[in-house]
Amino acid sequence: MTDDTTEANRGVGYLVAASAVSAVTALSWLGRPLLTLPDLAMLYLLVIILVAVRFGRGPSVVASALSIAGFDFFFVPPLFTFAVANKRHALTFAMMFGVGQLISGFTLRIKRQELSAREREARAAQLAEEARTAALRMRVEEMRSSLLSAVSHDLRTPLAAITGAATTLRDESATVPEAERRDLLAAICEEAERMERLVSNLLDMTRLESGGLRVKREWVPLEEMVGSALARLEPRLGGREVTVRLPETLPLWSVDPVLLEQVLVNLLENAVKYTPAGSPLEVRAGADEGTVFFEVSDRGPGLSEEALGRVFEKFYRGPHVGVGGVGLGLPICKGMVEAQGGAITAENRDGGGAVFRVTMPRGGDAPATGA
Amino acid sequence: MSEAGPLVLVVEDEPQMRRFLRASLASHGYRLLEAGGAAEALRLASAHPPDLVLLDLGLPDADGIDTTRRLREWTRVPILVISARQREDDKVMALDAGADDYLTKPFGVNELLARMRVALRHAGRALDGTAAEPVFESGELRIDLARREVTRGGAVVHLTPIEYKLLVLLAQNAGKVLTHQQILREVWGPGSTRQTHYVRVYMAELRKKVEADPARPRHIVTEQGVGYRFREG
Repeated sequence: MTDDTTEANRGVGYLVAASAVSAVTALSWLGRPLLTLPDLAMLYLLVIILVAVRFGRGPSVVASALSIAGFDFFFVPPLFTFAVANKRHALTFAMMFGVGQLISGFTLRIKRQELSAREREARAAQLAEEARTAALRMRVEEMRSSLLSAVSHDLRTPLAAITGAATTLRDESATVPEAERRDLLAAICEEAERMERLVSNLLDMTRLESGGLRVKREWVPLEEMVGSALARLEPRLGGREVTVRLPETLPLWSVDPVLLEQVLVNLLENAVKYTPAGSPLEVRAGADEGTVFFEVSDRGPGLSEEALGRVFEKFYRGPHVGVGGVGLGLPICKGMVEAQGGAITAENRDGGGAVFRVTMPRGGDAPATGA
Repeated sequence: MSEAGPLVLVVEDEPQMRRFLRASLASHGYRLLEAGGAAEALRLASAHPPDLVLLDLGLPDADGIDTTRRLREWTRVPILVISARQREDDKVMALDAGADDYLTKPFGVNELLARMRVALRHAGRALDGTAAEPVFESGELRIDLARREVTRGGAVVHLTPIEYKLLVLLAQNAGKVLTHQQILREVWGPGSTRQTHYVRVYMAELRKKVEADPARPRHIVTEQGVGYRFREG
């Protein structure tokens, strides 16, 4: 427990006690026609208390003693002696000393309490900080083990299918009908593609996390990126109706076309995964003063209250436990969009379904081409 | 030309990849030469001139793009480079260094064979000096080069001079990828300093005129980060 009253401090305290008492004595002597003895007693008490508060017990005892001496010598008859004419004054002196010490004691205790309260506060803050760090570390660990188990599951599942199919085809002791053989071979191809998609997502996420994403901006027509995104997803669209509504006058986007195409692919893939087979999808775009935007909408079940807030979180998979995927598609979109200065939002749609909206700053006007 | 199929030089260090290429190419009548690295590849290519080179850009002993350049110093043999996903820069550099087309791992055998066929066809045409056909057809699109007329489903399509040049370039290279730089050079001239967005904008205009649904093009395919390809058939 620390205390203001270090050695040096106390030394100074004694000096101050002496000076203060002297000062009060001198001033009071000058003002003695106006002051009565009780007034003087109060003044000395004040000095004793102030010295106690600032310098502690030692100096306050000295201040008390000097005050009484001064009081007696200069103001109590007979003047200029330490003798006391009226015995009552001895009681006054005793009271001055006593009260002075009492108050000093109180103030010292208050000071100590204040100090220890401050210390407790500092300790509590430190503990809170440690608790927060520990909680954070735990969350990271959780996420890491959740990632590992999700990846492990999502890679093992197609691997199991491939191993199973390949070893069955290899098995010379059984005769597998031609149609079955074809199915098994198709399964091997499809499951390999699934694994490729997962690996791609993991790589994208890693690049985003490590800051290894290079953004190469160009002036690109949105139509082109929508077209190539749809082409990539063709086999998985399963004959769904996809309506593309792009205004004729849509300006060129200043973006990295490879990244933005990936965003479109991820959003469309997400829509395909979480909406009933055959339900329609829509891609809409527009522009206003300083921004351009596009929206990918579906007629699926829409997003729950919880999902609306968490859908862009890594590994968040929502209530659809049966659907494959590690839960990286949307966080990757968010990362890629934000790396280009844009924003992405998710909302529910009038009439059912969800709509994901990507907004980008226009970045000025595209240079003219004379087209 | 002899009865034997075209000679393909496979430059690939992964044994499993070589196994699959060997099996699929041989079963389609191609003859194979295999090299596990760039040095071996250059040696074999000069000793037994191949009809086509399959070059993996991820070789351990050399830079695939450098190897492409070195090959191009003395041969016009078609070169197909194999690269990993998300390495668009590698693909563009390889194409600009003289490669004819690319494949992205993992790829299927159909894609491989199709690209090889296209590359051999274009090389063959260049070799024996066959003039391009006077009429080019793909689906409902018909380009009459002699009359400079383009029709879609019988109806005439009006193109600006640049759009026409662009379409003809794509059609004459049908099935083969063309980089933005290559297109800029061929259509706007070798001294062109214009940015790639020129190509994109004109391509968008062209699609509006020749594609049934410009947002889902059937003929002019975007190879993101690399360039464009006119789809055959």
